Amino acid sequence: MPDLEQQLTDLGQAIAWPATPKLVISLPARRGGLGWGAPLMNRRWAMAAAAVLLILATLLAYTPSREAIARWLNVGVTITKVQHPPTPSALPSGTLGSELGLGLPTTLEQAQRQVKWKITVPAALGPPDAVYLRILPEGGEVSFVYAHVEGIPVAGETGVAVLVTEVQGQVRTEFFQKMLGPNTTIEDVVVNGHPGYWVSGSPHTFVFLDASGEAFPDTLRLATNTLIFADGGTIIRIEAYTSKERAIQIAGSLQAR
Amino acid sequence: MEGRPADDSELIRRALRGEAAAYEEIVQRYQQVAFRTAYVVSGSAADAEDAAQEGFVKAFRALDRFRIGADLRPWLLRIVANEARNRVRSSGRRHQLELRLTEGFRPGDAAPSPEAVAVASDERRRLLEMVNGLSEDDRQVIASRYFLELSGEETAAVLGIPEGTVKSRLSRALARLRARVEEEAASA
Repeated sequence: MPDLEQQLTDLGQAIAWPATPKLVISLPARRGGLGWGAPLMNRRWAMAAAAVLLILATLLAYTPSREAIARWLNVGVTITKVQHPPTPSALPSGTLGSELGLGLPTTLEQAQRQVKWKITVPAALGPPDAVYLRILPEGGEVSFVYAHVEGIPVAGETGVAVLVTEVQGQVRTEFFQKMLGPNTTIEDVVVNGHPGYWVSGSPHTFVFLDASGEAFPDTLRLATNTLIFADGGTIIRIEAYTSKERAIQIAGSLQAR
Repeated sequence: MEGRPADDSELIRRALRGEAAAYEEIVQRYQQVAFRTAYVVSGSAADAEDAAQEGFVKAFRALDRFRIGADLRPWLLRIVANEARNRVRSSGRRHQLELRLTEGFRPGDAAPSPEAVAVASDERRRLLEMVNGLSEDDRQVIASRYFLELSGEETAAVLGIPEGTVKSRLSRALARLRARVEEEAASA
């Protein structure tokens, strides 16, 4: 008689499994603008839904429309304009920065083992409150999150005061147009002897050449003043609602850990 | 094994860049093992289909937290199996997993191995009945390892237990099954 384990393996070949159904997966929109919101297998519905959403968004953009819709729906809602929205809670739930789409929480040691460049940490800020590692861009992206930094306010509802991001790649000024919004300016600066850029205002996207040589659109998570410079093939970004001088001072304290 | 980790990494990168076809390929590559895994956990084809669908959506949402260089299959199967368990828990009903034998190999199926041919059809049926008669834990660990041919790591991910526990649970399940086989052989 064959061995019991062998019999079971052979038995596995003869199991009548229920027929595998054709899965219909409707993908949600990804955070950070790197994904898509369309269903994989029913794009016609997605386009129809997108059209409805666009119309609703357009209508909802105007207060009179919002009120008209509320009356029409008879939902008993009174819409009031708030000139000064209440201050959001100091910290979101979960690990600091977990809502920012920075990847997987990790430690400096583990992050260093996963990436090829030598990670540097700003001594001026002390040890980070959280460290994240992301699979993309090519070669990975490491982020340090700081909750409390003297003289630098927390950005919006993120609970984060300073965000430092390191990634392999090259800065290309021809992509800077993508960062420029109505209230955004870019200024050439020198950081630790390297050419850098001080982006003030509310930039949302930073496009650079990643380690594979492809243009990579990354999201500036805090949408606030950002210092960008490259140091030996590593692009370092410091996002904080602070002055150019303070950001350059923080960058000047970067040290290999 | 379905696919190699290197190919999966490339698909993940492309999916994260917004290429819908890349994630579609991941779904196609793993939908069968995901569905069958969910079936082993839930015992219901309908729950297994829902769990596999929802599992793939949840995996997509979490894709940028997937660890660089890790194997995609156990990660996906863990998510799908958790989804299947949640469905069983929330519905309050537990279906008894009843595995059946195919009536011979259909055209297009892989040819049975010589060892499989050597095992008489009646013996196979009796053995499967004995597996079906085991406890849920024993049945699930045997079905995962021998019928789904999952690795130890994948079985641990699917059953939500440490890999060491998989080994000990499997060893005990085999011992109980062997005892039943011997008992029946002695009474024949």
